[in-house]
Amino acid sequence: MKNWDECNEKPASALRPDSARRAWIKALGAIPLSVGLGGIHPPVSGALKTNAHVVIAGSGLGGIAVANRLSRMLDGVQITIIDAKEEHNYQPGYTLVATGVWPVSKVRERNIDFQPANIRWIRDMVAGFEPESNTVVTARGERVRYDFLVVATGVHLDFALIEGMDVAAIGQNGLASVYPSPQAATATWAAMQAFVKSGGNALMTLPATPLKCAGAPLKMTFMLRDRLRQAGALAKANIRFESATSNVFGVKAVNDNVLERWGRLGIGVDYQRSLKAVDIGARKATFQLAGGQSIVLPYDFLHVVPPMRAPDAIRSSALAWQSGPFAAGGWLEVDKSTLQHRRYPNVFGIGDINGTPRGKTAATVKKSAPLVAHNLVEVIKGRQANELFDGYTSCPLITREGSAMLIEFDYEGRLTPSLPGIEPLQDSYFAWLMKYSMLKPAYLSVLRGRA
Amino acid sequence: MYEIWLALNILWEISLGYWPLLIGIFGVWVLLMGVALRNGRTKWSAGALPAIVTGIFFGLIAFVAFPTMTASSLSAPGYWVDWAALSGIALAYGTICFLIALPLWAMFKGGRA
Repeated sequence: MKNWDECNEKPASALRPDSARRAWIKALGAIPLSVGLGGIHPPVSGALKTNAHVVIAGSGLGGIAVANRLSRMLDGVQITIIDAKEEHNYQPGYTLVATGVWPVSKVRERNIDFQPANIRWIRDMVAGFEPESNTVVTARGERVRYDFLVVATGVHLDFALIEGMDVAAIGQNGLASVYPSPQAATATWAAMQAFVKSGGNALMTLPATPLKCAGAPLKMTFMLRDRLRQAGALAKANIRFESATSNVFGVKAVNDNVLERWGRLGIGVDYQRSLKAVDIGARKATFQLAGGQSIVLPYDFLHVVPPMRAPDAIRSSALAWQSGPFAAGGWLEVDKSTLQHRRYPNVFGIGDINGTPRGKTAATVKKSAPLVAHNLVEVIKGRQANELFDGYTSCPLITREGSAMLIEFDYEGRLTPSLPGIEPLQDSYFAWLMKYSMLKPAYLSVLRGRA
Repeated sequence: MYEIWLALNILWEISLGYWPLLIGIFGVWVLLMGVALRNGRTKWSAGALPAIVTGIFFGLIAFVAFPTMTASSLSAPGYWVDWAALSGIALAYGTICFLIALPLWAMFKGGRA
């Protein structure tokens, strides 16, 4: 097992001391790939002349990818990105950091390196949406009017629903969570290493809400088990997966496959157990059961997956679903096929914020960013949004260090492998290699609006 | 078609991280080829076979070593797609080694004539 030393929190500006090298890479990255490859062009429509003002709320993968595409598709467009975050995090890499495969530096970048030129970046958080007046309000009270809005805010990790939970305590007393940040992922690895040395009971949780990267709780479980195996420590440890629902994954074929594997690996599963409280010092976790009663379980390692919902700015606005299965989470009310808002046609959604049946992954953004940009341009032209999204999402589901399953599926939960010959439920080195070496380059090309 | 475009983009982004090394390797190859082409005793046909053997040798090393270099192991490939991917990577490494070895072997064979 590796010990990565990059645990100290550094500002994004201090991450890469070799500024000349970064400038070199940024310059090369800005060169259209078509130049480098002698004429192979990305499939985007020709530039439309417009003076429309497009506001993009959020500068994660979805926000910046759409910004880059729109800046090339629209000649004269004014683009405003609203986000206080300077740092851009490659979130799909968090599980690799949290399990000791990658150094934390590989998941930390800077937003400014990927945003298109000539945009206005408001370094503030969105506090409210007023779609009736085409206005976004920032936390500092700035009112920004738009002609078109792309909502790309991502999700809110609702750790507050877990009494006693303290994100700052991740890494201590067996407390772990891969989701909050690169620092939390690094601290989770430290907690995992300590548990592998000491052994005991490990509890891996899963909430009942929609979550981003639904495979991450499973990957963490598989990798914890593998780290114990590598250390020869299986005999002194016990892993149980505590699901708040009646399954561990929303696609039945994958769910059944994972459960079969866990049965062979000795990983126990309990259902209808929702994590409600944690006593970090005493290492005790309280779960609410289906009938309303509670059970307190001691642990030596607790991987917390928080309930997730829309950020308050969306949830309390008219943009959120007002009724139906996505209303409780406050998710953005978009048409699942066009990703256009169902009541405000000049609003689109991209990424985890969307209230759609599935797809809170980077792979979903990869497939939907070109569609959102295209449909928005069609609406600017006065036409209807005419490209339809099938809900594609993908998860390289790590089963042990060095092997993974490449799971791809659509809204209906049908397995939909992209490449011929791929067997989704097969342990695969190629799937691992994609996760380890290829998905971040793919992510960066999506971010730059090329793929 | 999209998958091909995506693969090209992935290769491009990967190469951005190794640009100085790639330029260096290309520069060395161009230099070797230039020296070999200007050398009147270079024997290209005599150098081809040992260059191919060199390429195969390093390709096999890449085939065996690459999984370990990517935090995996040679026991990880589970089906034909894995072996095909690993073979493709080994072929790429072997081809690069062949191209660098060719002018060296050709000059060496010419020098011994």
